[in-house]
Amino acid sequence: MVSSLTLFQATIILYSMGALLALLLRGRKYSNLLTYLLPAAASLFAIVLSANVIFAKDALHISITRDALAQFGFDVFIDGISAFFILLIGLVSLAVSLYSVGYTKEYEGRKDTSILGFLFNIFILSMLLVVVSNSVFAFLVFWEVMSLTSFFLVIYEHEQEANLKSGMTYIVMTHLGTTFILASFLVMYLQTGSFSFDAFRQYVPFIPLQVKDIVFILAFIGFGTKAGIVPLHIWLPQAHPSAPSNASALMSAVMIKTAIYGLIRVLFDFNSVGSPDYTWWGILLLSTGAITSVIGALYAVIEKDIKRALAFSSIENIGIILTGLGLSVIFASFNLTALAVLALVASMYHTLNHAVFKSLLFMGAGSILYATHTKNMEAMGGLVRKMPWTSLLFLVGALSISGLPPFNGFISEWLTMQSLLSTSQIPDSTLQITIAFASLAFALTAGLAAAAFVKIFGISFLSRGRSEHVLHAVEVPRSMLIGKGVTALAALALGVLPFIGINLITSAFNIQSAQPASPFDTITLQNASGSNFASLSPFTVVVLLASVAAASYGFVRVVGGPTRQVVYETWDCGFGGLDERMEYTATSFSQPIRKIFKAFFRPRNSIQREFYADSNQYKRKTIRMESTTRSLFEERLYTPVVSATIFLFDKIRRIQTGKVNSYLLYILITLVLLLVLVRLSP
Amino acid sequence: MIPTDAPQIDILTISSAVLMIATFGVVVRRGFMDWLRAYRYQTMALSGVTAIIAYMTGIWEIYIAAALTLIIKAVVIPRVLLRVTSQLKFVARYELNPYISVRLSAIISALLVALAYFLTQQVPFRSDQILRAYLPVSLSLLFIGMFTMVNRRVALNQIVGLLIIENGLFLFATALTHGVSLIIEIGVFIDILVGVIISAALMTRISHTFDNLNVDNLEHLRDDKEE
Amino acid sequence: MFEPSFATLAAGIIQTLVLIAFSPLLTGVMRKVKARSQKRIGASILQPYYDIVKLMRKDEVISDQTSWIFKSAPWINFAAVATAALFVPVMLAYSPFGLAGDVLLVIGLFSLARFFTVLSGLDSASAFGGLGSSREMMLSSLIEPALFLTIFTVSLTFGATNITTLVSSAAGLQQLVTPSLLFALISMFVIVIAETGRLPFDNPATHLELTMVHEAMVLEYSGKLLALIEWAQSIKHLTLLALMINIFFPWGVATSLSAAAVGEGLLVFAAKALAIGVIIAFIETRVAKWRLFRIPDLIAIAIASSMVGIVFFYI
Repeated sequence: MVSSLTLFQATIILYSMGALLALLLRGRKYSNLLTYLLPAAASLFAIVLSANVIFAKDALHISITRDALAQFGFDVFIDGISAFFILLIGLVSLAVSLYSVGYTKEYEGRKDTSILGFLFNIFILSMLLVVVSNSVFAFLVFWEVMSLTSFFLVIYEHEQEANLKSGMTYIVMTHLGTTFILASFLVMYLQTGSFSFDAFRQYVPFIPLQVKDIVFILAFIGFGTKAGIVPLHIWLPQAHPSAPSNASALMSAVMIKTAIYGLIRVLFDFNSVGSPDYTWWGILLLSTGAITSVIGALYAVIEKDIKRALAFSSIENIGIILTGLGLSVIFASFNLTALAVLALVASMYHTLNHAVFKSLLFMGAGSILYATHTKNMEAMGGLVRKMPWTSLLFLVGALSISGLPPFNGFISEWLTMQSLLSTSQIPDSTLQITIAFASLAFALTAGLAAAAFVKIFGISFLSRGRSEHVLHAVEVPRSMLIGKGVTALAALALGVLPFIGINLITSAFNIQSAQPASPFDTITLQNASGSNFASLSPFTVVVLLASVAAASYGFVRVVGGPTRQVVYETWDCGFGGLDERMEYTATSFSQPIRKIFKAFFRPRNSIQREFYADSNQYKRKTIRMESTTRSLFEERLYTPVVSATIFLFDKIRRIQTGKVNSYLLYILITLVLLLVLVRLSP
Repeated sequence: MIPTDAPQIDILTISSAVLMIATFGVVVRRGFMDWLRAYRYQTMALSGVTAIIAYMTGIWEIYIAAALTLIIKAVVIPRVLLRVTSQLKFVARYELNPYISVRLSAIISALLVALAYFLTQQVPFRSDQILRAYLPVSLSLLFIGMFTMVNRRVALNQIVGLLIIENGLFLFATALTHGVSLIIEIGVFIDILVGVIISAALMTRISHTFDNLNVDNLEHLRDDKEE
Repeated sequence: MFEPSFATLAAGIIQTLVLIAFSPLLTGVMRKVKARSQKRIGASILQPYYDIVKLMRKDEVISDQTSWIFKSAPWINFAAVATAALFVPVMLAYSPFGLAGDVLLVIGLFSLARFFTVLSGLDSASAFGGLGSSREMMLSSLIEPALFLTIFTVSLTFGATNITTLVSSAAGLQQLVTPSLLFALISMFVIVIAETGRLPFDNPATHLELTMVHEAMVLEYSGKLLALIEWAQSIKHLTLLALMINIFFPWGVATSLSAAAVGEGLLVFAAKALAIGVIIAFIETRVAKWRLFRIPDLIAIAIASSMVGIVFFYI
């Protein structure tokens, strides 16, 4: 058997080689293939590595520390938690790498693709190294590399002004987050006297509770910014769509999960939350998760840019993950271990699922972009006939993310719902009612997410093409289909055979539980009195679905006999000339929801009419309607903060006279003052 | 080791006084040619002081440093400056209108010297005579150099402040360590040479762009939205 | 009680077949009641069966703009709804596949069915389809929270989402009407009406574009596919009623597998289903179709009712 160390080295070397060769072989014949096949191979190694750590319990601990720099060593430690996230990275980057072989052709000829390949490899590598880092220094360095490479990916198409703007928002927000993470680590350092995660594990449980609260709040804001919690989410819907689609897939599917990783380390690894003192941590996570998921879903429904809609849906899913995580903390704080495990499994299962289907969907959106060169759903339509395979795979993603059986999203949403329903075991009725109401948000999210994905799939792929963009669309190259196929298969496998995911998570997080070990076992939860609370066996459900479908087909054939199908025009009320202008569009599809939640969206409709004659206002020459929605967060939260900051700095910048002399004077004054200070101090 | 008898202390005091006077000579000159000449004298004084340190410590490397100071700072740098700036117009070379008048700046320089002595009074190694004599001087040079830079409007004349600072630092290092490694000192010399060349070249550009070397013009480089 | 065995499995499958077979009858009865209360004679109560058989034998017209989604959606819809019916007990206090899925799965399967129906509405490229799909998604995304909260109340009361546990503990309960269940029932009733597209949410008998939701989506269908859709709609209706009946009014449901108990269970179930069907039909006669944007008010009432139910449970 291969040791974890070898696998780890092989993974690192292959990613680095991919990055280097991308630069060295620029423009050569097979450079594109090598640039993306190397990371694909590396991803395979990463997957094997994580399996090795999770199932063979071959944890890896490497210390690359020199005595003189003990505080700043590069410590690597791969335990089950790291391995779980390595698996996520490996799985997604395997699919996305294969996909990129074809997708990069989109940029060939007009952009330098070798830079893209380089950044792509370094980005994956940095995410991988973030989750294996075992010291503050290493963690932050790789965290920063991850942020910077993703920033460069966001502004890869910097010719477009909008992308530069998203890049700026992204880099400001991400550094704000990093500051909070750093602060959190520094507080832990001050208390433990060490920068090593090992020391954190050892001593953090003993630091005072108030300090722990501070650590948690700082980490929550810091990691939350990266994860995209509301209201720190504004960068996400700007940055993710701006990046090339393969990078968007990585960012949405994996990068934001590194924040979840960080939170889990702080919550469950450095600390244990086994006393009611920590209940409010869970409530904070749960309520933030609930708000985040609803708001993400609401924006996803009304969005008409396909990649932005997907980005908003990432926010929504992070909300669901945090809901599970928060429940887990609440349960753990009341020592309800079994339920804490259930909620954690739900949360991690959703993390895994989201990585799978969100990368699938972003790759699908990228395929549409590749074929039609537009991200605007209003310009799409009818792609199901032009791109049959892409549409099928995209549909799998849409079904999964909408939480429909028998796909993987259903399993994790089912588990999360069961965790929500189990709150009756918490000995605190206020909390019980609160959580019950939080479940309202969860259910609303599920409903809205389904609406969003019906819209995204229906408007982009179905009915007539709405513009000339789709006229010449053809199916994408095979490599792009393979990439999507890998994730679609994973989505189906995790949905039909949930024992895979559940065993993976319980082994990775070292949880003892009596959950299914084979495909035919069911997930069974028991209630307080020991009878069956709920059970689920998706495999059986699939068998039942298939047999019912077969039986009904047989029945209909027998009763109905053979009939013909005549192809004719869509019914047009006898009016004639039904065309694409009469179809429902993305905006009109979401109009009812926009109207119901108008307090939130603040839609503004401006209608301009032009008449043939002002005397007769019944005969209109033209009518033009424009509907806009406003972003409450940017208007109510960010704009005031930003303008206050600008005001403040406007005052401060009077110091900045522009005269060299005054700057020199500042230096002189500072120097003299410091020296006087030294002189006067005892 | 370092001798501590009285006559030598006198040499130290006198030499530091000479250096100080030479510095004031640089500060009060307004024209480019004038201060360049004064700077030459100051550098000669500095190299004399360096030689004294070399004599007192008996480290032969410092003689070389003194010689190098003389050659590079008193000969090479003035020449370079002269050549690079030869095509500059008169307004670009003469400080017509400093922020603070020359007289007042002399007084301020004197105050700065006092400040330097005050600051260094409690520094340890007081038994080290060389340090005791030259540390306040070097600090004064630092302050005066900075002040000169603050006070001058014409960019070319700000170089004088830079050069004074550099001399101060050199003295500071030599007095404190009795000779940094020679290699490093040579490196520092070359650094200052390159620095002077670059700033001179920059000034030529500035004068081409703005028609004079008044640093007030740089204000326009500020990123102002209101304008 | 029940142990998993071939006998219970067979009984379970039979009760599902009963549900599937009798669901059009309920539709027929409701139409008849509606007609009578409007002083019309109305069609025979067997008319839905005739319709289904007739439609199955007819040729179909398929729009040239459609794709495989359009052709497969009714099949998926029917299969999902019929599979959901397998999990819902009718006359037995036992769901034979209860170990494979629970109430949440039933909802999930209904959502799957709806997802494809809505897509098929968009697929035909007609404005009607889009209109119906858009409205359906709006309604369903609001009904989802109401439904989940109702389940929340019910599962708190009976300690399960597993249908077998749910129904058998409901059947075993001495005093059934607790305040929280009463509120859940109000909510559930609204949901059943909304989910099955009855008045005042949707008018199943009209083809006016201002009032249509479900009918607009399936406007392009004909022949076999339309038959499947109509039948699936009936099954969904009866399944939801069965769920409601067996959770809220479980009296008389068979708790053992003896012939007498099962027969009694079946008769009692039929009586209860007919009673509720008649009530819904009467309500339909009494109310007009609500304006689309007034409907969320009704759903909000359902949500509020469930929330009050939850609060009552804990106090």
